[in-house]
Amino acid sequence: MKIAVLIKYVPEATAAWRFAEDHTLDRDSVDGRLSELDEYAVEQAVRLVEAGSATEISYLTMGPARAVDAVRKALAMGGDRAVHVLDDALHGSDAVGTASVLAAALRRMEFDLVIFGMASTDAEMSVLPVMVADLLRLPAVANAVTLRVDGSALTAERETDDAIEEVVAPLPALVSVTDRSGEARYPSFKGIVAAKKKPVTTWSLSDLEIAPERVGTAGAATEVLAVRPSPPREAGTVIVDEGDAAVRLAEFLAANKLL
Amino acid sequence: MALRMILGLVMTGLAFTVAGRRLAMLVRLGRVAQPVEPGRTRGGAARLRAELTEVLGQRKLLTWTVPGLAHVLAFWGFLVLGLTVIEGYGALFQRDFHLPLIGNQPWLGFLEDLFVVATLASVLIFAAIRIRHSPAREGRGSRFFGSHLDAAWLVLFMIFNVVWSLVLYRGAQINTGNFPYRSGAFVSEAVARLIRPLGATGNDVVETAGLLTALGILLLFLVLVVHSKHLHIFTAAGNVAFGRRPRALGALLPVYSAGKPVDFEDPGEHDRIGRASIEDFTWKGLLDFATCTECGRCQSQCPAWNTGKPLSPKSLVMDLRDHALAAAPYLLAGAKSRVDALAAAAAQTPLVGTDGVIHPDVLWSCTTCGACVEQCPVDIEHVDHIVDMRRYQVLMESSFPPEAGVLLRNLEHAGDPWGRGAGARTEWTAGLDFPVRTLDGDRLPDDVEYLFWVGCAGAFDDRAQRTSRAVAQLLHTAGVRFAVLGSGETCTGDPARRIGHEVLFQQLAAQNVETLDSAGVRRIVATCAHCFNTLANEYPQLGGNYEVLHHTQLLARLVADGRLTPVTPVDATVTYHDPCYLGRHNRIFTPPREILGNLPGVRLAEPERTREKSFCCGAGGARMWLDETLGTRINEKRTDELLETGPDMVAAACPYCVDMLADGVALRRQQGRAGTHVTVTDVAEILLRAVHDPAAPPTGADRPAPITADDPGRT
Repeated sequence: MKIAVLIKYVPEATAAWRFAEDHTLDRDSVDGRLSELDEYAVEQAVRLVEAGSATEISYLTMGPARAVDAVRKALAMGGDRAVHVLDDALHGSDAVGTASVLAAALRRMEFDLVIFGMASTDAEMSVLPVMVADLLRLPAVANAVTLRVDGSALTAERETDDAIEEVVAPLPALVSVTDRSGEARYPSFKGIVAAKKKPVTTWSLSDLEIAPERVGTAGAATEVLAVRPSPPREAGTVIVDEGDAAVRLAEFLAANKLL
Repeated sequence: MALRMILGLVMTGLAFTVAGRRLAMLVRLGRVAQPVEPGRTRGGAARLRAELTEVLGQRKLLTWTVPGLAHVLAFWGFLVLGLTVIEGYGALFQRDFHLPLIGNQPWLGFLEDLFVVATLASVLIFAAIRIRHSPAREGRGSRFFGSHLDAAWLVLFMIFNVVWSLVLYRGAQINTGNFPYRSGAFVSEAVARLIRPLGATGNDVVETAGLLTALGILLLFLVLVVHSKHLHIFTAAGNVAFGRRPRALGALLPVYSAGKPVDFEDPGEHDRIGRASIEDFTWKGLLDFATCTECGRCQSQCPAWNTGKPLSPKSLVMDLRDHALAAAPYLLAGAKSRVDALAAAAAQTPLVGTDGVIHPDVLWSCTTCGACVEQCPVDIEHVDHIVDMRRYQVLMESSFPPEAGVLLRNLEHAGDPWGRGAGARTEWTAGLDFPVRTLDGDRLPDDVEYLFWVGCAGAFDDRAQRTSRAVAQLLHTAGVRFAVLGSGETCTGDPARRIGHEVLFQQLAAQNVETLDSAGVRRIVATCAHCFNTLANEYPQLGGNYEVLHHTQLLARLVADGRLTPVTPVDATVTYHDPCYLGRHNRIFTPPREILGNLPGVRLAEPERTREKSFCCGAGGARMWLDETLGTRINEKRTDELLETGPDMVAAACPYCVDMLADGVALRRQQGRAGTHVTVTDVAEILLRAVHDPAAPPTGADRPAPITADDPGRT
């Protein structure tokens, strides 16, 4: 059984983000990384291989040239090869454009199961798994916490507020996993060295037979009009204990309807 | 005469064959190990000095007065009585043999007998110590807990036998007229008087029997020594000679494979990273293990062992030695398939693992405080071995306590253990009434005297932020022109290196060296003892050479130069805790004491364990970032030791120590076991209080505010 894992190269969350004149993130001014939430997807794929349920893992990413860092990180955790969709015309793509590119790339890859992280840590839209599933006409299980695969079907558990659902889908299928699915492994140096030798194929839009005007800023259905920093967080209330801290703390919580 | 000669030579031949085979095996085992890193033979003068002071002078043994003196007597006893062995072998061939030139001098006879008494006295003292501090009485508190006790008693018994048989033989020699000394040998003479009634024939027999017995026992002892922990008799001098100088503390060594530093950008196919198995250690490592005499001085000072954790540096070294010996037949065999199954099984036992030679709980309990290395009379390099084993676990197996994953990810992605990121690195300056100059662009202005290395704790930790502000305020008051790197600073890499992640350390360090070099930094002052150690001792390994001062050094100098004047009485009993990485690792003991000692109203109270013997707070070796679930808590133990001095204030000079001890004091206050007024603070904050003129208006920053121990703690 073959797995395709979708991964994204995102800007470092703790760094200061700058936006370019076209209101896209200035990727050159900030370090990037493999999205933390995608690490859980990689982890699940590697565990399926370790358990003998799967045989191969291919990664797929779409992003700037430096996105190969995220690919290498994933390959250091495990897996066999990767595809990097790289094209200047992709700059400024919205979710619809991105989904169409990823679906086109997946059509050219062999897989029985596609694993996504639950969301990216930068845009946080969580729509791509279902959009791609729709384009590929695949059954989709979103926000799974456990995965099990036997020959022809995927069994996944989803945690909701009220219940744990067990969902079964025939393969090929698509699933997204949450950050509660299992701690992602820390790649060893041995893994990092091995990752350098694993093949990473680069595909352009023409390889995917996608017209440049259908994606990128040109093809986006929405337009970002302005980017403003969110207002700084206001300082909280500090209660200094003068013997009545507990009472004042309770009053504070009650006043904010937290009690 | 012929019988004496034949028997003597046959015994000798047998013993030498048995001992020689053993020694040859040990040497071959050493050759299976990796070559040492370069530098082990460099610095002849320092090595000679170590031989003179530590081997001949027994310096480290004498830090424990009674056992130290007993060992001096035994050690010098063996050297001097070595002469009697030569005399004894001479007497096999010629009954009245004497050493050339000085062999008849009464003083030599006296000296030999004096050391006969000395050796006997040492045996008695050692026996008394072993009885008084036996593990049966003291349990884990005994430094002999876990040592081979029977072997130790056997060794003492054998030394006793060597001594009595020697004087018996010498006494008989006097009576038969074959003794080389006319006078001086007072013990031998006393024995001679005792056995004179046996008559001429009797004494003839006793002389030969005594000589053969003495040599026989000595030869048995030789065989025993090469098969036991007493091997140190032969290996200690060599182990000291090839030890790291001045001591195996301070910097950690880079990762070496086959004696060459590993290039992590382009590692060689056969590079061995860290220690995966016993033969990955260098021959010096195996020599360390072979030299351990199980005296347990390391164990007695180990913070992990003293708080009920499974790590004892002594047991660790013993386990590695026992494993090396058990695996030796396999390691040395040409055809591995024909090796004894037990040896093969031993060789295939994982070095680290729950079923391994070293349990992971042992490996991860170490705070790298270096108390063991400091104590070891034969210069075993425990910390290096532990970190080397961690290196394999982390780099090759990704095997470490899960909390360490958070630390490593934060270091990798945010550049600090808290995961706060570079953008927040100047938040600590809020509230200061002067601007702190921050690196803007590539180079620092030429008039900057010191780069103030704030460190991650100093930038992000509540308590350490106060220390940063206090130091900045003091430097500002003294007119020192300083600047900080601000968002250009990242973790020095200390916790990454000590947890075993050398690659991450190299990345962080290389980045910092590049920043520092391009900023034109020459002089650095750091408040964190760990940053200080790494910047001063480890960055030269990456080509970063700076003059690095700890803030207590700079502040002590500023006070001495009159640029800071303590005027306000502090009126408090202060006890000072030596941070391991400032004190033991870097020998900076005086400046913090100078600062505190010169403050008006301060009464300095030294804790029982102080200076070189200071007890770790529990945060070193990246333990700050790991959960402490085994045994009791190290910081509480150290807090109790400090509280015994009856302090109003506990002072330290490292943000991790301050944090750990503040947590400890807060807990003891809560439990009613410490006065509610007891506070924990950095030396700099106390100095600032004293320098601050109470008559002057408040300066806006937070200095005169009370320093309390129950502030928001670590998260």
